[in-house]
Amino acid sequence: MPDAVSLDVVIKIVESIFQTMMEVEVSVSELALVPTGDRITAAVYLDGDWNGAVSIECSHPQACSFAGSFLGMDAPESVDDDVQDALGELANMIGGNIKSVIGTDIRLSMPSVIDGNDYTVRVCGGCIENKIAFQFAGGTFWVVIIGKEKLRIRELPHAELQEQVM
Amino acid sequence: MNKALVVDDSKTIRMILRRMLKEVGFEVCEAANGKEALAVMDGEQDVVTLVLADWNMPEMNGLELLKRLRQRSELSSLKVVMVTTEAETGHMNSAMEAGANEYVMKPFTKDILLEKLSRIGVLPMACA
Repeated sequence: MPDAVSLDVVIKIVESIFQTMMEVEVSVSELALVPTGDRITAAVYLDGDWNGAVSIECSHPQACSFAGSFLGMDAPESVDDDVQDALGELANMIGGNIKSVIGTDIRLSMPSVIDGNDYTVRVCGGCIENKIAFQFAGGTFWVVIIGKEKLRIRELPHAELQEQVM
Repeated sequence: MNKALVVDDSKTIRMILRRMLKEVGFEVCEAANGKEALAVMDGEQDVVTLVLADWNMPEMNGLELLKRLRQRSELSSLKVVMVTTEAETGHMNSAMEAGANEYVMKPFTKDILLEKLSRIGVLPMACA
């Protein structure tokens, strides 16, 4: 499992992305329920100093809501290419920002999207999984980190980094 | 009218940047990767004044695109801004050494984007 500091940084990254790009307030939730029914997962894979996957998992209506907020338009009525692309970009931002604070030699994959109601996401050799539940007005969604090794924060998170180097 | 080329494999990001840029007076064209961007530039190099490029894209990534653009002497006045999640200091240094004019990290707000564009002097006069 990530240590408390790592987990706190991941939570801040997710909160910042939702607030900055969508003006959506999200906060960590103690809810331990596993999502059921139709759901959609977008994931990116990291390879190098740290190996694993970072994904965001939510219901179809939540994904549509995120896409609408992201694009500044009404939420699509059902999951389409735009919704999948928006969720993939969310995974890319979350994974990319985590990547930037955990190592200097890590490659980030293109995002992939899985849609359905009976699937699991596994990383070959991945054994450390951390599921973080977030709540917002539309319910609870999950950010999942699966890795071969423990997450270790090595750099400042994005916002502070940006202020310091530019 | 100032014309900007937005290069990102995510349609979502292209749409967001298109909206932000149009609101401040840019005409906007798009490409989904570096190769497409070079093809667009072949046809519109006289009018595109600003390129906003993601880093991590299929076919040709943003850093390679930047290097190719900087090899063209006729594009010496072109401004190139990297817009990416690649926030490590090493990546930023690589981009600046390759000729990037600015670096915007995702997530970003319209204000952050406009501040960066203002710094490099490409905002239309009314917005600067």
